[in-house]
Amino acid sequence: MSGDGTPESTPLRAAWIVVPVAVVMVLFIALLATRDTGDAGFASFSLEGQVAPAIVGTTIDDQPFDLDDFRGRFVVLNFFQTTCIPCVQEHPELVSFQNDYAPSGFATVVSVAFDDRPSNLRDFFDRFGGDWPVLASDTGSIIVDYGVPLVPESIVIAPNGEVIKKLRGGIGQNDLEFVIAEWQEANA
Amino acid sequence: MSSALFGALIIAVGAAASLTGIVVVVLGLVGHRPNWWRESRGLVWIMFAMALLAIVWMERALINRDFTIEFVAHNGSHQTSAIFNVATLWSALEGSILLWSFILTGYVAAVVVKFRDKRDDPMMAWVLLTLFVVCAFFFLLMVGPANPFRSFDPPPGFDGPGPNPLLQAHILMAFHPPILYLGYVGFTVPFAFAIGALVTGRVGEGWLLATRRWTVIAWGLLTLGIVLGAWWSYETLGWGGYWAWDAVENASILPWLTGTAFIHSVMVQERRGMLRVWNLSLVIATFSLTILGTFITRSGVIESVHAFSESGIGPALLGFFAAIVIVSLGLIAWRGDQLRSPGRIDSPLSREGAFLANNVVFAAFAFVVLLGTVFPLIVEAANDDRISVGNPYFDRMTMPIGFVLLFLMAVAPVLPWRKASSGVLADRLIWPAWIGAGAMVVSLLVGARGWAPTLAFGLGGFAGGAALRQVVLATRRQGLRGLVGRTNGGMIVHFGVVLIAVAFAASNAYVRQDTFLLEEGQTASFSGHEFTYEGVDFREYPNRVERRVAIRIDDTQVYEPGTAFYPFVGRSFGIASVRSTALQDIALRVESFPVDDDGLATGEVVIRVTVQPLIAWLWVGGGIMALGTLLAVVPGNRRNPIMPVGAPLPETATPDGRVEELV
Repeated sequence: MSGDGTPESTPLRAAWIVVPVAVVMVLFIALLATRDTGDAGFASFSLEGQVAPAIVGTTIDDQPFDLDDFRGRFVVLNFFQTTCIPCVQEHPELVSFQNDYAPSGFATVVSVAFDDRPSNLRDFFDRFGGDWPVLASDTGSIIVDYGVPLVPESIVIAPNGEVIKKLRGGIGQNDLEFVIAEWQEANA
Repeated sequence: MSSALFGALIIAVGAAASLTGIVVVVLGLVGHRPNWWRESRGLVWIMFAMALLAIVWMERALINRDFTIEFVAHNGSHQTSAIFNVATLWSALEGSILLWSFILTGYVAAVVVKFRDKRDDPMMAWVLLTLFVVCAFFFLLMVGPANPFRSFDPPPGFDGPGPNPLLQAHILMAFHPPILYLGYVGFTVPFAFAIGALVTGRVGEGWLLATRRWTVIAWGLLTLGIVLGAWWSYETLGWGGYWAWDAVENASILPWLTGTAFIHSVMVQERRGMLRVWNLSLVIATFSLTILGTFITRSGVIESVHAFSESGIGPALLGFFAAIVIVSLGLIAWRGDQLRSPGRIDSPLSREGAFLANNVVFAAFAFVVLLGTVFPLIVEAANDDRISVGNPYFDRMTMPIGFVLLFLMAVAPVLPWRKASSGVLADRLIWPAWIGAGAMVVSLLVGARGWAPTLAFGLGGFAGGAALRQVVLATRRQGLRGLVGRTNGGMIVHFGVVLIAVAFAASNAYVRQDTFLLEEGQTASFSGHEFTYEGVDFREYPNRVERRVAIRIDDTQVYEPGTAFYPFVGRSFGIASVRSTALQDIALRVESFPVDDDGLATGEVVIRVTVQPLIAWLWVGGGIMALGTLLAVVPGNRRNPIMPVGAPLPETATPDGRVEELV
């Protein structure tokens, strides 16, 4: 509304100002009306059942990473921060999950760090264990794509690349096993 | 009857009263029966009583932890302390809408009381109709998508999670939202008068002036609300940030910008009868921006740190916004030509010329902010990319605007109406100019570097000098009365703005920040201060465990930043600690507690230290702006304006006279 004509009055019909403003406003409202609402919020998670958004990047060990390379196994995409206590608490569960399922190629964990320095992250994994890809640089777009407002959050992705479920807050190994078993049953 | 049902009933009665009000006023207007709309004030009192009762009912439920109401179950908790129990009302959507509705009906009741002598006037009928429509919208929101009194069946031993921990973190949260809402909602009144004036075509009769004081009060409260919000985020987040150009912050600054433009340009209309359509547009824009801002905040269309406030009322708000825009633009197209005044601005070097420049700059400012806020949506619509517009855009775009505004603030108050001669101007600007130059020299002497902050200090001194000149001249003539009234109060507001501008420039230009890994007993030196880590302390509260780190600054006082873990929420949040002095703030924040191979704490801590000059003056400036607003609404010596304003012109006598009758 800030562009309603010029303040100075000139012998110009009001309609000449109102019409272009009205056109802009109609476009603006149409734009707002057609946008997805709440996809970053707590209320809905629109990705479930859809193909997981692509993630291509470099891990903190300078290895190239492409989420598509993990087709054929379950991926647990774990969003975390080294300074967040629930993230620290759930970490041993992720390590145990990885130890049980990664060697057979059944599943793997992939961590996406929130706003952390690679050196902090390497320290974190040195201390707590865990050997899986960790993405740290340019994670902003991943966080937006996956609609993660706060950490920790884990997103379970099926072998066919479909997003199964988002788990908020700290998780246990059994949560992950349950989600995976449920999906296998439904898709058997 | 369950308490949820009783609450829902209160809302239903309020909604019915507002809808009946619409019908009664419309029938009264159609049948030319003034007594119909006159009597609709009874319905206003019913609406107000219902909103008040609903607030009391909800607060009662929150204080008693009545979990049979879903809102309380979702946001209340036995563990929340008393003050935050009351504040829980506005920690989530439904309660916020309830508070909004209560404030709105309060304003409507005040309008009915204030303008009781005018109640037979058809203009008042249109004002009431507009107000009833806005009230009905908010009551219907509470009947439908934002129902605060949904029922809940709590299992035995149930306890809710409590409000969002970030909102419990600081006492300012108890004040920032209600004051912000008082400001936001206050703009509904001038909007209703604008619609009334457009429909009846009676724009020359001083209605704008009648509501000018309302607008100024709403503006002052909005200002205070915004400053308190900035203070809250500074104290809570502890990384030295107080303004991040976040979508929700932008949503509050947008109506503030158009509202600021209005309270300046309305003076041109008052004096010279010009800019009528423009002023109407500004009032309408301000109100629609409050609704648009609420939509942006509540719908989740734009990524924001305020994501906790998202909900499903987006479509309703957008529809309401669209309706306001359609009706307003239609009315302006219909009436615009008729309302236009024949007057012209004689010289750009005049008070009205300066106000015009002020308006153009504020409109540009609002446009820049609005564009930056919705630009990600435009890009997304065009090519499905998600981008975010960050601080660099806003900083780059708003900095020159800020300089121009400071310059105008220095020059405009000394300009006479109609036309200034350069001799008069030079005479009046000499002292402000010296003060500005002095401010620049002093800032360079104490170590200011960089052209932008130095220029900001110089212009700040210039503008502050102009404000000082006005207040000194006025108090010399009139004693303490020289501090009240629109012009003098306005100059005190300008002081506040200058303080904020200087503090903003200094705190952004000279921020120093670093992180340190400290063992217990170890000391770090940074920016001329010493930080000694003296130990860590665990404190258990009913709803959280705090881990506080004792940091002694310069061998004097101990500050205790830390983290708080909320088991119910499963997350931990930082607790900042700030040492604030007149010249410099030191903000401390715990970044992490390193652990060893076994996951045990090493006893070390990583702290982040942020040192910024002059931060405290941001809040002082905000307080002075609020104080100046208060002084500005106290009636000043209008019949005998003091020199810088110039004697009233003959042609303004009529509108001025009418104002006196109306106010």
